[in-house]
Amino acid sequence: MQLAPIPANDSERLAALYALLILNTPPEERFDRITEFAATEFEVPVALLSFMDKDRQWFKAKVGTDLCDAPRSISFCGHAIVQSDILVVPDATLDPRFADNPVVINAPFMRFYAGAPLIMPSGFAMGTLCLLDIKPREFDALSLSILSTLRDLAVRELVEQGSSLREDEGRNG
Amino acid sequence: MDNATPLRKGLPMLLVEPDDLLRRTVALTARSLGMGDICEAASPDIASRLLRDRKFGGAVIALDFGKRQYDQYDLGLIDEIRRQRSADDAAIPIALMLSYCDAGMMEVVRERYIARIILKPFRARVLLDTFAEFFSRQSA
Repeated sequence: MQLAPIPANDSERLAALYALLILNTPPEERFDRITEFAATEFEVPVALLSFMDKDRQWFKAKVGTDLCDAPRSISFCGHAIVQSDILVVPDATLDPRFADNPVVINAPFMRFYAGAPLIMPSGFAMGTLCLLDIKPREFDALSLSILSTLRDLAVRELVEQGSSLREDEGRNG
Repeated sequence: MDNATPLRKGLPMLLVEPDDLLRRTVALTARSLGMGDICEAASPDIASRLLRDRKFGGAVIALDFGKRQYDQYDLGLIDEIRRQRSADDAAIPIALMLSYCDAGMMEVVRERYIARIILKPFRARVLLDTFAEFFSRQSA
């Protein structure tokens, strides 16, 4: 198994993530809706809006799991955030990066992953909007486009959040 | 009427759907794929205003019973399209998004020359496939 790579600019990326003040915040309808929409649209058992902290990925919105976070080192999303495009793993058991990943060889025995990096205008990837399935799947061009759109809508919400935080800071001096 | 849909190129499509996330996802994905423009309307009233201002090459319209009875289903927007002055405008392909469809509804659908029925659960993929077909009719 390949551990999730740590990008060279990870400290700057983490600073941008922390500045969003989104880690460990309660669920929000605007993000829940996007995640639930993705789970329904693609008929997957698990969909997540995940943010990549220093050593863990934390789930702001989730469908199909009760977990709040998971180790970064074994995460699929850790691989997705270093890509500029959507990472698709049709069958994890056939992919040397993930074939012996604990979530592949043990419960919940994940096989399929598609993760769209949440890339902010600054260029930093904060996390992913991702889909997981216990069955291998193909993911065609239309699916990629729809997931990309949902990711863009999530990023738009994050950008607005960042803007309103800066406005608040400006007002408070 | 449906088979005789005139070939008119470059016209946008109309999507009438109250769920903003579904509506936005379909319109933005269509644009990113270069399919063409899809104008969004959150309600029949907004759609009606759009229809007065511009021409469309086709429409996908969500109809919902809500708490109303079957015979109170609001078909006004569809009738408005079919009654447009220009025969070309009146003959555009229309798809309906319905909670369910029974024999009575099928008769209503036939009378109004509906090209396609889309049943719940509504997926962006199905709506995009429908618009792709409507756009292809324009360019055929």
